[in-house]
Amino acid sequence: MPLPDAAAGLPHPELVAAIPRLRRYARVLCGDVTRADDLVQDALARAWEKRVLWKAGSDLRAWLFTIMHNVYVNQLALARREAGNVSLDAEDERGAAWQVPVRGNQFDRVELLELVAQMDRLPVEQREVLLLAAVEEMPYAEIAAALGIPIGTVMSRLSRAREKLRRMTAEPVSTLKVIK
Amino acid sequence: MNAARILESDLHAYADRRLAPAASAAVEAALAREPALAAQVAGIRAQNAALRDALDPMLAEPIPERLLDAARPRATAMARGDGARRWRVPLFAAAATLVLGVAVGWFGRDALIERAGTPTTFARQAAFAHALYAADARRPVEVWAAEEKGLVTWLTKRLGFAVHAPDLNSVGYALVGGRLVAGNEKPTGFFMYENADKARLTLQVRKQASGTPETAFRYTVENGVGVFYWIDEECGYALSGNIERAQLLSVARVVYGQLAALEAAPK
Repeated sequence: MPLPDAAAGLPHPELVAAIPRLRRYARVLCGDVTRADDLVQDALARAWEKRVLWKAGSDLRAWLFTIMHNVYVNQLALARREAGNVSLDAEDERGAAWQVPVRGNQFDRVELLELVAQMDRLPVEQREVLLLAAVEEMPYAEIAAALGIPIGTVMSRLSRAREKLRRMTAEPVSTLKVIK
Repeated sequence: MNAARILESDLHAYADRRLAPAASAAVEAALAREPALAAQVAGIRAQNAALRDALDPMLAEPIPERLLDAARPRATAMARGDGARRWRVPLFAAAATLVLGVAVGWFGRDALIERAGTPTTFARQAAFAHALYAADARRPVEVWAAEEKGLVTWLTKRLGFAVHAPDLNSVGYALVGGRLVAGNEKPTGFFMYENADKARLTLQVRKQASGTPETAFRYTVENGVGVFYWIDEECGYALSGNIERAQLLSVARVVYGQLAALEAAPK
């Protein structure tokens, strides 16, 4: 049963509740905090522009992820076009490194930073699938819908991301670059 | 007996607990036969846990003001200042955003007109927050019941008044934990309870705007979620759940009774 005023806007509490997850996703895409928050801000603006397309009662988080992914892809395409079509390999796109607060008491802090630094070395397409499946625990079909790719592609990216990360973490601890 | 090969994608789906029961049984049989496969599944699960440990602390970071602004309907007219430089967005695009933003601002006015602090709004927000978090199997709360004392202290500090988590074990509901949720004006404290059948109830509490008249129990159904709400002194309470009205009312009475007893007790 939709709310009578469902068409009037997005549910504000849910929107605010989704921001931390959007920021995390954006940081996995962009790397540094400022660029990530710029992306979240653009995505929220876009969400309000497109708000009539949101179906009340459906998963707002997944819808916002879709919007942010599209904003990111569009901005990246624009930046590339202007930069004279440099590399299409997403691994080269990021200048900044991760800035992640880590609670030291739960787990070995260095190990976690190492893991995050290694995740950072995966291509962006694999990083985002890994985040959505392993960390956000989204169903594969929802990930496929959010990213606009076939489910088979989700599975192959997920499989490759996991295998690469596994091999990286199996290597002896290398140089840990937290802030480049 | 030679069972069929297990698909790589099934292995991942199994590790992520996303596989249908029938297919899961086939994977489990294969895991029992092949230690290498079992190790792979264990490895994926350990990796998932490590990634969550590494990335979950981000969720607790304070949200920058500019993002809270961007989430508010009226903020849509404000284009991000440095966006044009960063992405070299042509000027006309920024102008178009502004026009759209003004239009959105106008059509979004209903959300602004919606009066803060009215019981209807509170009940609706409570229903939304309930629907959002009660459906989350793994992380419905920010602070788990194991740290109940810390949870209550934290919420008391953030809400600015003494908060209590009622004990609902007598009606079959155990505390799961709690969190802070955003409200129209004031933040809301959120406690979740669960019974043996995994049915979840949430109790949400916030300070009401001064001059809000007290109300008896009121009941409403918002978006399929039943909500009993009432205002007592300065505080508004909302008990939400997808259970029958009579059941919800009996729990609401227990909550009300306990809070009234605490109120009467010497400090």
